Amino acid sequence: MKEGKMIAMLLAGGQGSRLKLLTKDLAKPAVPFGGKFRIIDFPLSNCSNSNIFDVGILTQYKPYVLNSHIGIGSAWDLDRRIGGVRVLPPYTNEQGGRWYKGTANAIYENINFIDELDPEFVLILSGDHIYKMDYSKMLDFHKEKKADITISVIEVPWEETSRFGILNIDDNNYITEFEEKPKHAKSNLASMGIYIFDWKSLRAYLISDEKKANSNNDFGKDIIPQMRMDGKQIFAYKFKGYWKDVGTIKSYWEANMDLLADDNALDLYDRQWKIFSKNRHLPPHYISCEASIQRTLINEGCVIEGHLENSVLFNEIKIKPHAKVVNSVILSGVVVESGCQIYNAVIMEDVVVKADTVIGAPDSETVYLVSKNKIIESE
Amino acid sequence: MKNCLGIINLSEVDLPLGLLCQNRPMAMLPFGGRYRVIDFMLSNMVNSGITGIGVYTGNKVRSVMDHLGSGQAWDLDRKLNGLFLFTPTYDYTSINQKVGDLDLFYQNNAFVRYAKQENILIARSSMIANIDYNAAYQDFLDSGADIGIIYKNVVDTKNRFIGCDKVNFDENGNFVGIGTNLGMEEQFKLSMEMYFIKKTVYIDMLYDSIEKGSANYLKQALFTSLNKYKVHAYEFKGYVSTINTVRNYFDANMDILNPEVSSELFFKHGQIFTKVKDEPSTYYKKHAKIKNSFIANGCQIDGFVENSIIFRGVKIDKGCIVRNSIVMQKSHIDENVHLNYVILDKRTTINKGVTLIGDPSSPYIGGKKAVISKEGET
Repeated sequence: MKEGKMIAMLLAGGQGSRLKLLTKDLAKPAVPFGGKFRIIDFPLSNCSNSNIFDVGILTQYKPYVLNSHIGIGSAWDLDRRIGGVRVLPPYTNEQGGRWYKGTANAIYENINFIDELDPEFVLILSGDHIYKMDYSKMLDFHKEKKADITISVIEVPWEETSRFGILNIDDNNYITEFEEKPKHAKSNLASMGIYIFDWKSLRAYLISDEKKANSNNDFGKDIIPQMRMDGKQIFAYKFKGYWKDVGTIKSYWEANMDLLADDNALDLYDRQWKIFSKNRHLPPHYISCEASIQRTLINEGCVIEGHLENSVLFNEIKIKPHAKVVNSVILSGVVVESGCQIYNAVIMEDVVVKADTVIGAPDSETVYLVSKNKIIESE
Repeated sequence: MKNCLGIINLSEVDLPLGLLCQNRPMAMLPFGGRYRVIDFMLSNMVNSGITGIGVYTGNKVRSVMDHLGSGQAWDLDRKLNGLFLFTPTYDYTSINQKVGDLDLFYQNNAFVRYAKQENILIARSSMIANIDYNAAYQDFLDSGADIGIIYKNVVDTKNRFIGCDKVNFDENGNFVGIGTNLGMEEQFKLSMEMYFIKKTVYIDMLYDSIEKGSANYLKQALFTSLNKYKVHAYEFKGYVSTINTVRNYFDANMDILNPEVSSELFFKHGQIFTKVKDEPSTYYKKHAKIKNSFIANGCQIDGFVENSIIFRGVKIDKGCIVRNSIVMQKSHIDENVHLNYVILDKRTTINKGVTLIGDPSSPYIGGKKAVISKEGET
């Protein structure tokens, strides 16, 4: 065992079905976010910035876009002589082929990969969240508490506690109780789905869990409750900062809009903690004489001739003269023709919005997801 | 173009660029919001299918090394071929220190000699163009010539190519020689300083010039031997600009505000690659007002910007007026600053309320890392 060494296992197989058309052709971690990123860039950049250079990425649902985005990991400095980034899809063996049954099963199936790297600790991450976090501080906490498991938690608004897995803790951050989506929560600390385990003990639990016929092979439902029952030390690491689960179209839109706030807690301009992504080598964007722009994020290769307000624009977008885009997220390659009025929309890649189209209304709460052949309203 | 080796020679005369080229060769000048001049040459070669490129760096090495690195951005980090860098060396054993770059080519001749390619594309890096070399290369091969010159017919009414090389032909279209454009003719054939040359001819020329002592510079060796070999010329018809003086550099940048020029330069025969910086989106704040400008990623803009080129990671605060200017990477322009016809080098800081006005023919230049404050304030 390499003392003190931690590797990360990133669960990136989820579909994110509530994102609807956004995940029609790609897995949730590959969904574009914030003008130039994909969601998975956040945990991957966090790993790289936290000096974790061995990352296993567990893929399952429509992995093509994700695979080509990750490549050999050079965008995150994860192309290493030994270790580095590894994409780990399900595979076949003598017993035939099978899909990953649950989060824990996905790790179980890749015990060989982890054994080869021989770490002391394993960090379990999910590829669904937007946040910046120094995992090495969490590891310091884990070591200091001599914990068997450390679970990262964040304070959520009390009225939203019923949407999360809530953890109750004592003064020493020792976890006393787990409540899954409680109606009347005793605390507002929600699990972020980020765990640190000691590999030796996790390995044993994964093997014994796999033998149970009725297990869900899930960390939250099986592994952690079992370890708790066996008296293992489980601590909560309190994370402070921006954290968002972009589970639905509305929350996806909101998380993008959050970037436009002046006091936006997810400071993407911080040079000490850059978010890296695959780069496309496009020229800067051009803004013409007719354009007007307010509170908007714009990226490379765009040509802007219309009016933009409170919006997030990805790459290579054309906004024609007299088009108006407000409170919207526009993905790469979109053309908004002249005379369009677009409010509260998420427009998917390569859509051409024909001249004089009106989508949404200025004072509506509804968010519209616009794809090539249909428009979906958010619940 | 598998059978063609690329050579980029950066030993330029960069005195007319003054402050801008104090610590960098002309090829490393930032250009077009996120590029360096050399990116055009490298990307053109790579997009045309040249896979082995040697860069002779000239003496301002740090900037070149920093930008090119392993050549990854251009897909030149290869096991076979790829990017080779040749820096000047100082020979302590010889009494006669040599003037010029020819000796450097001689010292590093192994690169050419042992390369499998039979032809060489020799270029400098003072021209901005998006060029596909395949047609020119084929034309050179078909002609059976020893040396191929790429030129462009220019009508230079604004004297934007003074000091550049001029290719001359007689009435019958036979090559006469290459001279320097002093602006005597408005219409002429501009040499793009890109030459195809057979490897055997290149080695002959190099050895011969050194033995006879007839040249100190590669260009000189080439020019003096042009009458000995069969020379063929190829006409390039696309957009080209040069950056050999401050004014030309400024005008070449402003040219890309013309959408026709920018779409040709950045897309026509493939993309232009450069070192990536992982900058986030550019954020236009509440008071931002932008007209006719080219703006790179990672900027935070709250002021008025017109007819300008803004590089990556620039901050322009509230109340600023930036017109007809070039602002390079990571500069910070504080509140209520007024700039007109200004070139700000990388990481300059312009403090509150400063006014800097240059002239179209001679823009004001703020040197790298300069901090400029109003009189009496710090």
